[in-house]
Amino acid sequence: MIRPLEIAAGLMLATALVLGLVVPPDAVQGDLQRIMYVHVPSAWLAYLSFAATLVAGVAYLKTRRMRWDHIAGASAEVGVLFTGLALVTGSIWGKPVWGVWWTWDARLVLTAVMFFVYLGYLALRRSFDDPETRARRAAVYGIVAVAQIPLVHFSVVWWRGLHQPPTLLRPGDPQIDGPLLAALLAAVFAFTVVYAALVSRRAEIARLEDLLAAPSADETVAGSGVSAPPIVRDTR
Amino acid sequence: MIRHVTTLFVAHLRDERRAGEVMLVIVPFGTVALLVVPMAVGIDTPLLDRIGPGMFWVVLLLFGTIVTQRQSASLGESRRDMLTLLGVDPAVRFVAAALAAALLLTVFAVVIGAVTFVLYDPEVVDPGWLAAIVPLTCAGIAMVGTIAGNVAGGLGTRSSLAPLLVVPIAVPILLAGAQATEGLRMGLGILRWILLLSVVDIVLALAGVLTARPLEES
Repeated sequence: MIRPLEIAAGLMLATALVLGLVVPPDAVQGDLQRIMYVHVPSAWLAYLSFAATLVAGVAYLKTRRMRWDHIAGASAEVGVLFTGLALVTGSIWGKPVWGVWWTWDARLVLTAVMFFVYLGYLALRRSFDDPETRARRAAVYGIVAVAQIPLVHFSVVWWRGLHQPPTLLRPGDPQIDGPLLAALLAAVFAFTVVYAALVSRRAEIARLEDLLAAPSADETVAGSGVSAPPIVRDTR
Repeated sequence: MIRHVTTLFVAHLRDERRAGEVMLVIVPFGTVALLVVPMAVGIDTPLLDRIGPGMFWVVLLLFGTIVTQRQSASLGESRRDMLTLLGVDPAVRFVAAALAAALLLTVFAVVIGAVTFVLYDPEVVDPGWLAAIVPLTCAGIAMVGTIAGNVAGGLGTRSSLAPLLVVPIAVPILLAGAQATEGLRMGLGILRWILLLSVVDIVLALAGVLTARPLEES
């Protein structure tokens, strides 16, 4: 059954994509700049989803409620998807603008590192059969990984930098024209709602998977080779 | 607590001495890796001089991960249960394992460092700084590896999974070590890289100690 949040996400995404196509092209980059309506929201969601994974991991360790683990895993899965999308769209944009598919820029390296950190996180989650062991260990790894992200950021910034400075979050006034800004904000909002819908659905599926994997009370655990002992009535 | 750390640290080293994984297997493997690089990039002496330090750090990180995941580093279930029954804090076990891994990694780094000097002849202006850079780097890799080993402990896929867990989050360690030696080569300041290494080590030590207990619960 389709949920209201998913219908809203679909409608907002469609609106944002139409807006991204009808607003005027960029004065310098022309139509090429339109890829930013996908790239920027994807990059934003990459950070948001990994922050959500951290918060849900900490909440699981505090409360031991499996719901938090399901949210952490769902958020990481969706985060990997959007991080990959940010990397691919950035690469497609970079080829005509920078002349290369990839460059050793700080932000690019950081994003790629985040992608692999969370691929590892997902691989770790898949390795456990027991949901509680999976939840506990994934939460610990998620915390250690996120604690390292700011350090990765500083290390690659000190290393070198080519990526442009923030356009939207620049102190003072944003260096972007009104209609383009509106289209970008609409895309960011729509992608965020899509993220919420995907995480909500995926967390629900994870809950049902755990439920399905758990042995039920009347399940035969010893196989058909073992039969229940006969009931001996005490007639004394 | 210090007595527990010391006892476990010595036990780890004794296990390694009996198994000989680092000195008899991983050190020769790392040396072979340094030996085959010129066969892949060509015997261009100025180029090898330039890439030598980088090769050293890459080999240290990748093979260092193997050092931290060596068989003798993983406590068996019965040994872990015994330590738990004896009241040994999981944080103590983390510290002892990380210290042992850091020492073994430093030995590994010294050996492959000597091989790098012989094969690549890199130019280093102030080699005294290496005495600070290498142990700090080894400590960082050792702690990431120990945490990853604990997280993936008991899994059949531990040896293949742990490198994927370790290498991406060891990026600051690799960059700081490599950029510090590059700074030494170019005669530039390297204090910010030492600072980064120190901060990474402190964060990892705190993370390892604070998450040791939740990892133990079952």
